[in-house]
Amino acid sequence: MTNVEVAGIGPVEVSVAEYGSGQPFLLLHGGAGPVSVTGFAEKFAAAHQVRVLVPTHPGFGGTARPEALSSVGGLAALYQGLLDQLELTDVTVIGNSIGGWITAEIALLKSSRVSGIVLIDAVGIEVPGHPVADFFSLTMEQVFQRSFHNPAPFRIDPATLPSAAQAIAAGNRAAIAAYAGSAMADPTLVGRLGTLEIPALVLWGESDGIVDIDYGRAYTAAIPMARFQLLPETGHSPQLETPEQVIDAIWDSAETDFSVFKG
Amino acid sequence: MPKTAVTRITHSCHLIEIGGRTFLTDPWFSTRPGYYQGEPIALSVADLPRLDGVLISHEHYDHCDLEAFAAYRDHSVPLFVAETVVGAARKHGFTNVTALAPWEQAELGGVTITATPAKHGVYEVTFVLRAGSDAVYFAGDTMLIPELFEIPKRLGHISLALLPTNGLHIRPANNMQVVMNADEAAELTAILKPELAVPHHYTFTKGFLGDRLITHSDKNPLHYRDASRDLAPETSVRIVEPGIRIEL
Repeated sequence: MTNVEVAGIGPVEVSVAEYGSGQPFLLLHGGAGPVSVTGFAEKFAAAHQVRVLVPTHPGFGGTARPEALSSVGGLAALYQGLLDQLELTDVTVIGNSIGGWITAEIALLKSSRVSGIVLIDAVGIEVPGHPVADFFSLTMEQVFQRSFHNPAPFRIDPATLPSAAQAIAAGNRAAIAAYAGSAMADPTLVGRLGTLEIPALVLWGESDGIVDIDYGRAYTAAIPMARFQLLPETGHSPQLETPEQVIDAIWDSAETDFSVFKG
Repeated sequence: MPKTAVTRITHSCHLIEIGGRTFLTDPWFSTRPGYYQGEPIALSVADLPRLDGVLISHEHYDHCDLEAFAAYRDHSVPLFVAETVVGAARKHGFTNVTALAPWEQAELGGVTITATPAKHGVYEVTFVLRAGSDAVYFAGDTMLIPELFEIPKRLGHISLALLPTNGLHIRPANNMQVVMNADEAAELTAILKPELAVPHHYTFTKGFLGDRLITHSDKNPLHYRDASRDLAPETSVRIVEPGIRIEL
């Protein structure tokens, strides 16, 4: 566990797994917890000279969450503190779903340690007519249907899970509610994104049933230097479903269509 | 006669000693998101020696970090700048600011400062400093343009050339080139025929994603050294780490 002092919150214990060495990346999981990104981190570190840091948001994966740490902004401050503590520079922050929302808030802190962001099917903005699916009103089967292009390899029956795993899942749900609420959005975020001066790569699974493609395009339009890329045969968790596509999209992002830039 | 010398601080920020005077070029002493030197900053503002003058080629942050340089102890130090820098320099408290347009000159303690042409994404000038038979050309981060070929005709022999070499392209702007590349710097070297040439502006990075989505550049100064061997064999090219002082 790493202890990070967060202004206004106090000391926070955070578990950080690390993969590989080289160019630094901070990889932030969404509501599915750290297990939804660790396999990707291993693949990324095996494919390239990269150092991938994967924190577990406090409250997820059976970890403790200080009561005062109860917002996406608080998590962003925690991770900026972590990057300061590790004295990293030229860090690319990658986040999926709620992790993408945290990533956007980290970028808005405008630390010189962070040079770029990758938003993968991120939530956090309000897009009229394109709400984020209400995770809390869905059955687990509906969550799997909406989260994957092909849910079969990923489907589990929560009732068959051991009680410890069920307790972790319940903790994850409580942490999602504490950080993101049921709306999964901050109405002020989209306006603030216009001040970003670092590049953003916005990756979106074309079969995402949690946040649709137009929502992803709206996210891209809100960021001055953002590029949007659709990932075929992929749902809400591309790093789980098509990790090689995600690695290639990040590593080969210079092969870009510049017409997507604004200004 | 005191030695003419250059110390790279970082990127395009140098200390130039000529005619017993010390000049700073294009101050850059901090970092911002997506703006990294890619090499050490050899001196902090507090550690700078007493400066006789400061040259600033244009207003881009990585050449004109007035926010950090405002910590310099003497705000009456003479600044010789592109006219687009005057307002910001005064706003940061510098009281002795002179705009020089191409081919305009100023004198400072036996050193003649001449602004020379440039072409970049924004308005820019470059500079020649002359004291006696020694002259230093500081090229900021200009493109290679025909006007630069006039420098030796108008201003005489150049002894030391400080040239950018990364051929920076801006991807979102139709991949527009805004800085001379290694071959172009070698071509200019062949025209200027300095005894010594030192490349700069080649380790700069916009970061992992910025280098892929925003900029494209050549980070290897050996390309310039090799090109100069072919085009300007009489010139000695020195690739210099920040903090190393090189005498002419």
